[in-house]
Amino acid sequence: MGSAYLINLAFNGVILGLIVALAALSITLVFGIARFPNAATGDVATVGAFAGLAVTATGGGTAAILGFGVLTAAGLSLLFYLILFRGLADKPPVASLIASIGLAFFVRAVLTFFVGHNQQVYPLPIVRAVPFGPLRVQPTDLQVIAVAVLALAAVFALLHLTAIGRRMRAVADNPDLARASGIAATRVLVVMWLCAGALAGVSGTLLGIKTVVSPEMGWDLLMPAFAATILGTIGNPVGAVLGGLLIGLAQELSTPIVGFTYKIGVGFLVLLLMLLVRPQGLFAGNALVR
Amino acid sequence: MEAYLLAVAVIALIYTLLTLGLNLQYGFTGLINFGVVGFFAIGAYTSGLTVLAGWPLPVGLLLAALAAALASWPVGLLSLRLRIEYFAIVMLGYAETIRLVVTSESWLTGGVRGIAGIPSTSAALGLQADPTLVTFAITLAAVVAVILVTRHLIASPFGRVIRAIRDDEDAVRALGKHPGRFKVTVFVLGNAVAGLAGALYAHYITYISPDQFVSLLTFYIWVAMIMGGAGRIGGAVVGTVVLMVFVEGSRFVRDVMPGVAEVEMSSIRLGVIGLALMLLMRFRPQGILGTKGNP
Amino acid sequence: MSTAELAVTGVQKRFGGVTVLDGVEFSCPADGLSGMIGPNGAGKSTLFAIITGFQAGDEGRIRFAGRDVTGLSAVERVHLGLGRTFQVPREFGSLSVRENLMAAAPGQSGENLLAAFLHPGRVRAEEAAIRERADAWLAFLNLAQVADTPAGRLSGGQRKLLELGRVLMLEPKMILLDEPFAGVNPVLIGEIAGRIRELSARGIGFLIVEHNLAALAALVNHMFVIDRGRLLAEGAPAAVLADPAVREAYMGGAA
Repeated sequence: MGSAYLINLAFNGVILGLIVALAALSITLVFGIARFPNAATGDVATVGAFAGLAVTATGGGTAAILGFGVLTAAGLSLLFYLILFRGLADKPPVASLIASIGLAFFVRAVLTFFVGHNQQVYPLPIVRAVPFGPLRVQPTDLQVIAVAVLALAAVFALLHLTAIGRRMRAVADNPDLARASGIAATRVLVVMWLCAGALAGVSGTLLGIKTVVSPEMGWDLLMPAFAATILGTIGNPVGAVLGGLLIGLAQELSTPIVGFTYKIGVGFLVLLLMLLVRPQGLFAGNALVR
Repeated sequence: MEAYLLAVAVIALIYTLLTLGLNLQYGFTGLINFGVVGFFAIGAYTSGLTVLAGWPLPVGLLLAALAAALASWPVGLLSLRLRIEYFAIVMLGYAETIRLVVTSESWLTGGVRGIAGIPSTSAALGLQADPTLVTFAITLAAVVAVILVTRHLIASPFGRVIRAIRDDEDAVRALGKHPGRFKVTVFVLGNAVAGLAGALYAHYITYISPDQFVSLLTFYIWVAMIMGGAGRIGGAVVGTVVLMVFVEGSRFVRDVMPGVAEVEMSSIRLGVIGLALMLLMRFRPQGILGTKGNP
Repeated sequence: MSTAELAVTGVQKRFGGVTVLDGVEFSCPADGLSGMIGPNGAGKSTLFAIITGFQAGDEGRIRFAGRDVTGLSAVERVHLGLGRTFQVPREFGSLSVRENLMAAAPGQSGENLLAAFLHPGRVRAEEAAIRERADAWLAFLNLAQVADTPAGRLSGGQRKLLELGRVLMLEPKMILLDEPFAGVNPVLIGEIAGRIRELSARGIGFLIVEHNLAALAALVNHMFVIDRGRLLAEGAPAAVLADPAVREAYMGGAA
């Protein structure tokens, strides 16, 4: 029992960690370029998950859930930039942070007003788990892993292989450059917000596939995602992903010790310990932001 | 009607205490405390349990403030060295963690069922008077005391340094003063006030459960403080009054629009608070009553 | 060499792959009037931050007033008598001009919360003394007429003077000025330079980083030139500015 149980927990931890990593990467991109921690990230993910739910009503499968969820989240993210965050860019970052909390509340309010507070699940066919040695693997788990890894890879490819991605990294390194280059910076911001929204959308829909869809899911995802972001040094994309995996593993593997209720508190505990030992994060040095 | 107004006034005064504490932290020192509700909860549970165990009310109130202060000291010491955005996030998580502990440790806190039958202020003091009236008197006295202490503090050399920290922390360091010491003091002090507010709340409502201590309350207080104008003591009072008119007014909306269920009403309240935060940040970060140039 | 001096040896600093400071060495008397120039990107600002303790160098040592201060924090260096101003003035905008200076006074017992409430008499007496000192410096800096104005409303030049006043409240041995003339009109430049000269005569040392070469050369007795993270030249201002290597560094930077 012992080691098999742990292996299954670790496997779950990796899946959860990838979902957290997607949200953390979204937060770190926004922080690196727009320079504030976006508390609305979780609720954009929630909207993505609900958009996926809407598509299942017309008979859509996993691909349709993901596609529609991601598009909706990306579009919403851009919209929020245009109507809210763009106007706050010349104010201190604190203003954007507080506004993003207001936005998170507002989005959740609209959702709960129209769909209520109930938990829902995607009507996907139930597939029997396949044993791999001690590990019991759901085929959907493999899908979730594959999609998460692909989405992460796509964003890193964008950051490192395309001209706009290189410009994003340059803007993150040097905000004065962003101000000097004017129009180019606007394009960078548009692409960044689309990207951040899409990542949140992937995170939300995958969380919905793995667990349930509820209006509070995004807000609950926010703390571990923030913890992962800080753990991996805020503004550092690679750090955010590794931080996410670490938080996911820590949460799952600590379950036998702390029990189910305190599981969500583990991310916070890891964050506090981390800040005590190494307040600049694990991966300071090659961060987007110095 | 009079009884209703008095009841609203008690809640308004309790919120005013919270706003005053936050105003000291954010308005005067620039600390982003997103964990107000956590310290409010610690105060409520501490005093509720203490008085239930047979201790007199003043001991409960004192312990409530002390417990909230103690709970904020290590986390403040640890995280006030951090960048301001990190600190904000840590506080948000801390409040959620406190709620988690309150929910899980049911041997002490009753878990999700909460604690019922907390002695009201007048019962705890052995008085025959109307508990609402007694709570009103005590809370009003607390508000006045906190305002007087805050005014003295702001005018003192200590107050001068914390206002300087709000304006520019690096410049304070360049003058050979450690901002950290001042920030931790202000943080602990403001949270002690929140703890006291929580205690008064527990002895007024006489029933507490984790549902009453959600993050939304923290941002009620933020909206009240920003509306009134951060960094102005009178603003805290005015902002809280405006907030109460909204919160209580939203109850009457249901009488006017009978089709709206309570669940929908809570969504509307959440949405309006969200909208208020966004609009205030976008258009009036200095507050509705504040003048430009006073951040 | 006296012990009362500022000495920088072998200071290196890299950001990512870029070497900003590459073994800078120099020393200046703590009671002298020295200037530091160099083309944009030469590393002056970074060096300034490392000397004052706001950044840590990768290698090298800083000595001040006979002590190795390399490991000391910015706050501790201030306590040893090393004051600084900022390139973009960082006044406390919502405090009055007088409050800005009063906030700077060291060793105030009223900064302790308990003392502020328990010993009002002592605090009041201290406040009166600090206020007198602040007003004296405000008069010296020609800021007396704006003493009660919020510092955020001052002009650029007045903010520079205010920052100088704030540092003077610390009674420093030496003050590092970061571009005191930047964005200041010529009349006020003359006024600031005059005040610096007078303070220097009273025994306070200065090291001034500045882009306005003419104004700096007219003010200081000794000049250091930094280029590409190293000390390129030093000496009397006229000689330094005539140095072909210095001219080339500036031309190269401008081209």
